[in-house]
Amino acid sequence: MYTWPHWLPLVVLTPLLGAALTPIVSLRTRHVAPWWALGMMTVTSVAAGMLILRVALEGPFSYLPGGWVRPYGIELRFDEFSASISVICLIGWLAVLYSFRYTEWLREVPKQRIPYYYALLLLNLGGMIGFVVTGDLFNLFVFLEILSLSGYALVAVSGEHIAEMAAFKYLLMGAISSLIVLFSVGILFGITGSLNMADVASRLGDTGSVAPAALALGMLTVGFMVKAALFPVHIWLPDAHSIAPSPISAVLSGLVVKLGILGMLRLYQIYYTSGIIDLFVLNQILVWLGAISIIMGAFFAVFQDDIKLMLAYSTISNIGYIVMGLGLFTNFSIIGGSVHVFNHAIIKATLFFAAGAMIYRTGYRTLSDLRGIGSSMPLTSIAISIGAISIVGIPPTAGFLCKWYIALGAFEANQPFFGFVLIFGALLIFVYYIRMVNAFYFQAPVRQEVVDATEAPASMLYPTLLLAALCLIMGVLGRIPLAFIEPAVQRLLTPLGG
Amino acid sequence: MEVYDLRPIIAPVISLVCAAMVFFLGHNKYWRRFWMLSAATLKVIIVMSMLPGSLRGVVYVFPMIEFTPGIGLGFRADALGMFFAVVSSTLWVFTTIYAIGYMKGEGQRVRFFGFFSLCVSTTVGLAFAENLLTFFIFYEMLTICTYPLVIHDETPEAFRAGRKYLVYTLTGGACILIGAVIVFDSTGTLSLGSPGILSTDIPTGTLALIFTLLIAGFAVKAGVMPLHGWLPSAMVAPTPVSALLHAVAVVKAGAFGILRTIYNVFGVDVLQEVGFTMPLAWLAAFTIIVGSLIAVFQDNLKRRLAFSTISQLSYIVLGAALLTPLAATAAIVHIANQAFPKITMFFVAGAIKKKTGKTAVHELAGIGYQMPWTMGAFTVASLSFIGMPLTAGFITKWYLSLGALESGQYWVLAVMVGSSMLNAAYFLPIIYLAFFKAPPGTTMRVSEAAPTLFIPILICAVYVLILGTTAEVVGMPFSLAEAAVHFVFGM
Repeated sequence: MYTWPHWLPLVVLTPLLGAALTPIVSLRTRHVAPWWALGMMTVTSVAAGMLILRVALEGPFSYLPGGWVRPYGIELRFDEFSASISVICLIGWLAVLYSFRYTEWLREVPKQRIPYYYALLLLNLGGMIGFVVTGDLFNLFVFLEILSLSGYALVAVSGEHIAEMAAFKYLLMGAISSLIVLFSVGILFGITGSLNMADVASRLGDTGSVAPAALALGMLTVGFMVKAALFPVHIWLPDAHSIAPSPISAVLSGLVVKLGILGMLRLYQIYYTSGIIDLFVLNQILVWLGAISIIMGAFFAVFQDDIKLMLAYSTISNIGYIVMGLGLFTNFSIIGGSVHVFNHAIIKATLFFAAGAMIYRTGYRTLSDLRGIGSSMPLTSIAISIGAISIVGIPPTAGFLCKWYIALGAFEANQPFFGFVLIFGALLIFVYYIRMVNAFYFQAPVRQEVVDATEAPASMLYPTLLLAALCLIMGVLGRIPLAFIEPAVQRLLTPLGG
Repeated sequence: MEVYDLRPIIAPVISLVCAAMVFFLGHNKYWRRFWMLSAATLKVIIVMSMLPGSLRGVVYVFPMIEFTPGIGLGFRADALGMFFAVVSSTLWVFTTIYAIGYMKGEGQRVRFFGFFSLCVSTTVGLAFAENLLTFFIFYEMLTICTYPLVIHDETPEAFRAGRKYLVYTLTGGACILIGAVIVFDSTGTLSLGSPGILSTDIPTGTLALIFTLLIAGFAVKAGVMPLHGWLPSAMVAPTPVSALLHAVAVVKAGAFGILRTIYNVFGVDVLQEVGFTMPLAWLAAFTIIVGSLIAVFQDNLKRRLAFSTISQLSYIVLGAALLTPLAATAAIVHIANQAFPKITMFFVAGAIKKKTGKTAVHELAGIGYQMPWTMGAFTVASLSFIGMPLTAGFITKWYLSLGALESGQYWVLAVMVGSSMLNAAYFLPIIYLAFFKAPPGTTMRVSEAAPTLFIPILICAVYVLILGTTAEVVGMPFSLAEAAVHFVFGM
């Protein structure tokens, strides 16, 4: 069953077509839209499951629409890194479910426009899935635009007083980075005459045009780093992620920024295979930027009172971990970094879902207002605490193994300094989560709404609890993703070291 | 001889279950007491049931739960771990009874007893940790679980103390984690099941880095100066917590970590070759003397006890750092010999506070007329710290001195003598005040604290005497310490 070749196009087309059809199916009554979106995501998830099963059993495979061989036709390619669509589907599905009640509560959104919200969300998820499975550089850009544009709109949906401003800032940075990516794709096409990634990789080495290739590499890195919100191009992230509606924050913070990282991994695949440029300098830059992001993100988070802003800064910090893992470029560190793409998505979604539930019930979003919520919303508070200890990286939770591997990579690469940065960054992160737990459990309530709050409705509570449980499960079963991703990392490293 | 057994994992799990029961069903005080007491008893029975085997040289092992190759949770009850587990599970019973009595009428008791049980669970987990990672996990859990106990009163002062506690201990924890990463990177294992996993093939610089990181990380909790700052501030916690923090769980976890680092991570042979332990010995000696000097000037009884703890814990560190079998025996038995007298003293301080509301030393004049038995127990504990024969403290000082002679470090004898005198200088005035400086007209009117407070005090004081007199009796913890020493020195 899993060998059916058409699962691969299906996994991309279902959410995209679903998005296009959402306004039509919900013409008669808007209540169809959420169910429709959920159905689309269910189909996508099934397809994703089949694909992952196949890659686990058979290794990477391609799909050539219309049977056009490369470099003439387009190509969809599914390898171990593409398995990150599992987490896109999981969080996407849960975010749709979570939105059932959350969107009804958004006062600024006219009720008859709610179907558009689901359309945008599906578009965003479809864009991400496409980005991950495409084998072409130009399609990479197209999907990047789909997910970015829908992202800008989703940030603006919330209707908070600075929502338009945050969305505009995001748009400005995002549009520039997309342009940079497009130009670089153009350069690569110019020097190799191909847009297919595998093809570009094999031709790039023979062209001998080192300078344009280096320029393209640098620009692509910058472009993807803006999307990933690495220091110093992170400035759009805190506002956008904290202002967006909570399910969207989970998607943006857990998934969308990760696509910058996946873009980097694709770039590495091309450049390492071709061997045209020694990437040592780039790696060093990435490690340093990663280290700065870790410390800076954590440092800013410590001083936030707004719970979602705090989580947004923590995302910058965690992106720093992943980029540092890539930049260290050892077996352990890349495995750790790529698995953290997956684990951080789960953890951050847990945190945003739980924070969203609290905001939904009380209307407050700062730690000083939410004091004492641990006794009125116990399950949500437990979920957010589990998320917190996972993101700090306390074993045996999901965050631990990745950080352990990245730290091990730092020592393996003989750069122990970064091992220290990593662990002391984790310590700083701990500080701000302690503040949160303190406020929730150990300080007396100051707001009547907090005292009167009850647990969020089931469609919000159960996704949160499920994700919190996954934070623990992924820690105990951590070896499964680590072992899964290892062949891909081996292939990535082989051309370099032999 | 290694035997697969469930008990090394059941022992920590019991208190974990107990904590869960307290959190979910603990709103009824009778149920809460039932769970606390039955878990404490059950735990002692299980730990004790392993004692005969351990004394015969059996090591109970629970196979590792691997997260990923080489990294996972493993449990192993060797002699050293058993010693620590026996001490902490025995003391847990008394502390539980005492805490039930002490916390009557205080707020947030469900939270208090829940985290209290978690602390003990993690302490026994520490004792049975098979590898450095398991050790680290429980070490950090212990930090997290004691935090709610430190800030129990929820006053600004308590929050300040809690923050300080976290800053110190979490930084220490981070150092340990980095150390563990480097150990894994150098050797490919984290096991604590052999007498040393590092070898001198590893560059000396790396070894020094590992040693510094691990020892510094553990020394924070063990209160070695200059890393002791959190300990006196954490005194704002309720007295059973202070007893737990200062005598049983937290500080001993640090000291135990130092023992594990020296004996099981490095191994005596490697350390003798590279000679890292002498600076540690000097630091410990400094802490012993300076901690006592500061204690002399404290008027708050609990603060005086806190500085005494700082001073006493460094006996363990000093003993371990001397790297001779006799000094090692002293270091290991001092885990018990410090715990029982110190917990007695904290119980006394708490009982006095509950009964009379007095917390300062100068207020204690004549208290011996009102609480003669309590102050009698305090006297026994004091004599133990001074090092009187027949009490527990004598055994430590005797073996530590022998160990110092064995290693040729004669200056340690001077430290021992100086420390004994300083101990006398800050404990004897309290006893003198209590019995001989009663305000004129004080008559003998015995009114001891409630039995739940009073009985644990007496039992612990009796234990101090038992530990001091029965060292050579077969089956007492002392022989466990000897077994542990035989293992690490390969004798």
